[in-house]
Amino acid sequence: MANLTMKKADIIAVTIVIPICLYVFYESAQWPVPALLGRPFVIPRGVATLLVVAALLLLYRAVTGRSLPLENPLVGADLWRVIGAAVITFGYLFVVERIGFFGTTLLYMLLFALVLGERRWPRLVMFAILVPLVVYVLFSTALHVPLPRGWIENSLREHGFALIFR
Amino acid sequence: MVDLQLLLHGFATVLSGYNIIALVLGSFFGIIIGAIPGLTATMGIALLVPFTFGMNPFTGIVMLLGIYTGAIYGGGIASILIKTPGTPAAAATVFDGYPMAQKGLAGKAIGMATIASGIGGTFTALCLTFFAPILAKFALRFSAPEYFALAVFGLSVTVTLTGKSPLKGIISGCLGLLIAMVGLDPMGGFPRFTFGTTQLTGGFSFVPMLIGLFALSEGFHQVEVILTAPKVSAVLTNIIPRLRELKECTRTFVRSCIIGLIVGVTPAIGAETACFVGYSEAKRTSKHPELFGTGILEGVAAPQCAENASTGGDILPMITLGLPGDAATAVLMGALTIHNLQPGPLLFRDHFDLVHQMFAGMITANIVFVILGLTFARFFAKVINIDRRFLVPLIFIACMVGSYAIGNDIFDMITCVFFGFIGYVIIRYDYPVSPMVLGQILGVMMESNFRRSMAMSQDDLLILVTRPIALTILILAAFATITGIRRQRKALQMEEKLARRTAEVR
Repeated sequence: MANLTMKKADIIAVTIVIPICLYVFYESAQWPVPALLGRPFVIPRGVATLLVVAALLLLYRAVTGRSLPLENPLVGADLWRVIGAAVITFGYLFVVERIGFFGTTLLYMLLFALVLGERRWPRLVMFAILVPLVVYVLFSTALHVPLPRGWIENSLREHGFALIFR
Repeated sequence: MVDLQLLLHGFATVLSGYNIIALVLGSFFGIIIGAIPGLTATMGIALLVPFTFGMNPFTGIVMLLGIYTGAIYGGGIASILIKTPGTPAAAATVFDGYPMAQKGLAGKAIGMATIASGIGGTFTALCLTFFAPILAKFALRFSAPEYFALAVFGLSVTVTLTGKSPLKGIISGCLGLLIAMVGLDPMGGFPRFTFGTTQLTGGFSFVPMLIGLFALSEGFHQVEVILTAPKVSAVLTNIIPRLRELKECTRTFVRSCIIGLIVGVTPAIGAETACFVGYSEAKRTSKHPELFGTGILEGVAAPQCAENASTGGDILPMITLGLPGDAATAVLMGALTIHNLQPGPLLFRDHFDLVHQMFAGMITANIVFVILGLTFARFFAKVINIDRRFLVPLIFIACMVGSYAIGNDIFDMITCVFFGFIGYVIIRYDYPVSPMVLGQILGVMMESNFRRSMAMSQDDLLILVTRPIALTILILAAFATITGIRRQRKALQMEEKLARRTAEVR
């Protein structure tokens, strides 16, 4: 079973890598060749060729049952935790510039700790509030790095809370 | 040659104002990162690089050196207390460190580990100080063909020596090379692989990518293993070893220092190999090898000394040739570049005083973590018990916000998360990450110097093999590749035989 999972992974990797290499050949054919600046397609095509050869060898090993065994298959609760972490992290990217750093991070920390199994609400809430606060103060004041604002902070500024947010 | 006056001035700079505070803070956090299993020195440096942006370049560099040396040492604490190395570099410390803890000698083991690490690290920092200027002077004779050959050497050694499968190492390295080509052509200025987007015109941001591949990918792994993190229950007493005990380990220190330096200088091999080689040599040459593994001080001193002795060796090729010795030095190199300091022989020519300050910083960092390690040993032991359900989300936020802080661009944050997830997935399926990162660093060096060589020779490839230094390096690269592949294939064949025998027995 473990070999089958690694075999599938190797075959999937080959199906991703080979189109990438074909695209390298396709795009490099359209590049200009500046005089006295060497041929720009040599290295990319060389690397793509090496990659195709390696991918085909990997495919051969997978098809002939010689893939390395997968030592720790990701199943059950472990798998759902990783999926949960990935979903909320990618979700954070979409939401942070809209809602703003503070609100998004508060929600993110809350959800993430829940995904990891923390159920003690007082600790959860305190952690979810403290972390964005500390990070905000550290980055905005000590490091002078502005963080994404979003509509929450913009609304607060409009209603006269400009002193809190520099 | 090293300028002693500049070196003394370097020490004065390190020990003044914000620099010493940054160094102490860096060491402190480095030890914490090293002590917590799953968090590596590379991850620590990658996580904290964005925090150094607002600092003076030297202050930032000295902080990162503190994190690097502290984290390499800190891994031994978890090895001794919970039989789980804090960092891969401390794996061999488990063999005698944990048995000592079981005998109630955890404090003594940690004390010896601290002093041994300090001795190894200081020795190698001194070697770096004296040898680096000589190597950099030699490297000033290098031209485009030599730099191309160096890049090929670095890549070939890395892809064949890291990970279980050279084939997957090659795939990872080649993908890294292709990723490095995204953006504008370095000589012609036309866009390559940008898919018409303006964000990719400058290529992928290097530091967010590093943070993603080394720090965030490990964060995802921690999510996976969150329920299995062990706890510390040992009480630490008699931390500082006696003078007699240190004297008995003198030969071990000398041997491990030399082993660590040699291993560190070899590309793609770092502290992880140094600790095992140091331990096995100490056992082999001991009058009582049967005692190794039962809990003896020599068994802790040897690997800890060797692993920290490799740090200077890892930095040597990075700072003199622009060739990272391992993943951690690749990240350090990225940090130097962010502060507008390009590692290589020109750094010595144009910033000789700064280089001496860095040497002074490296030597001081190794002394600082010894003081911190002995003083706060009980605190660092407690840190291992930190609740992962709060630590892991903190790591994710630090990665994402750190990446955003580089250019105030959400695309950097996206880059970090994208490569973090990719890094986690490829590590799961045995693709090593180091070749991908080194492919990005060395790919730029390789391609631009190849094109320059072709421009110099008017498209004559013979220029790469008619220059003696370039030819020698390329031959070494071929030799290293062949021996590396053969060694990996033998190791894989042994594994397959063992797996078959185990299946037959069952």
